[in-house]
Amino acid sequence: MATPETFNDLNQLFAEEVEAALRYLHLAVTIKGLDRLIIRDKLIEGMQETLEHAQKIAERIVQMGGIPSLDINVHLAPEKLTAREALSSALAFEQAALDAYVEALERAKGDLVLEEFLRAQVALESEHVTEISLLLED
Amino acid sequence: MDRWCARCSFREATALDSSDTWKEFDQNPLTHSAAHHLVAILDLLVDLGYARVSDVASQLKITRGSASITLKRLKERGLVAEDRNKFLKLSDEGERIARSIQAKKYVMKQLFTRLLGVEDAQADVDTCKIEHLVSAGTAERATRLLQFLDARSPAALAFLEAFRRFAPPSPAKGEKHADESNLFRYFQAAQEQD
Repeated sequence: MATPETFNDLNQLFAEEVEAALRYLHLAVTIKGLDRLIIRDKLIEGMQETLEHAQKIAERIVQMGGIPSLDINVHLAPEKLTAREALSSALAFEQAALDAYVEALERAKGDLVLEEFLRAQVALESEHVTEISLLLED
Repeated sequence: MDRWCARCSFREATALDSSDTWKEFDQNPLTHSAAHHLVAILDLLVDLGYARVSDVASQLKITRGSASITLKRLKERGLVAEDRNKFLKLSDEGERIARSIQAKKYVMKQLFTRLLGVEDAQADVDTCKIEHLVSAGTAERATRLLQFLDARSPAALAFLEAFRRFAPPSPAKGEKHADESNLFRYFQAAQEQD
């Protein structure tokens, strides 16, 4: 039986992913000029993937007998960003999500199914972080 | 020059051309959110002895992603640093700003509750809106007023008593239900005098 702490962890991950999807969307539509050609599709792809992650977590919560709860409070101010600045922002929130998954995984020890689920998510988030880091390299 | 500021909705009477005050508001070096992050780090360092992104997010009831974006900007400005174990520290300037916001918050809240008779919860809300925006000079004047009241001189006590008789505190009714007729009458009279 999942504990309230487990549901709290999963709901927080759900919020991280939904908010990240909104941030990707905002970055993708905000980018102008030639930079738009370079990374718009990448940012849209990021949005779609994070939404998929959010959906997986929400479904995991339901499978464990809970009800997903979403608590986000985000203000995305109009900003003129370069491709590098947009990717740098994406790296910050992807790294934050990865850290959140790693900590949730540590707390999930003993629940083999949840551990496996979170381990897979850690692998996916690590890939995102690595890929964005590579894009930001000179 | 005494002019109307469209953005702040305050009548300014300063050497600063107040028609430009809204620009200063927008260009304030510290956003509302950034101010909260600095103070949250300071509080966590005092209470726990450490502060991580997750602690800041938890304290401010926001996602880690959101906290990390604001902290990234504060790091870029040299106000916050993160060590390799991901523990956050305030730079000297970051700590100075955080302490200044804390002090201004305290002083403005004292002013609202003790002098104006604003209810505690409403004073918290209003203080939160201005704590990082009020100038050091204005905060200093507010502090002097509180010190004047704290001294409990006959003049201070008479002033407080007379003000409370003139305008007894009334329960807050919320922004939508607040009676602003007195505010508008006073403003209209002032406009007519001009």
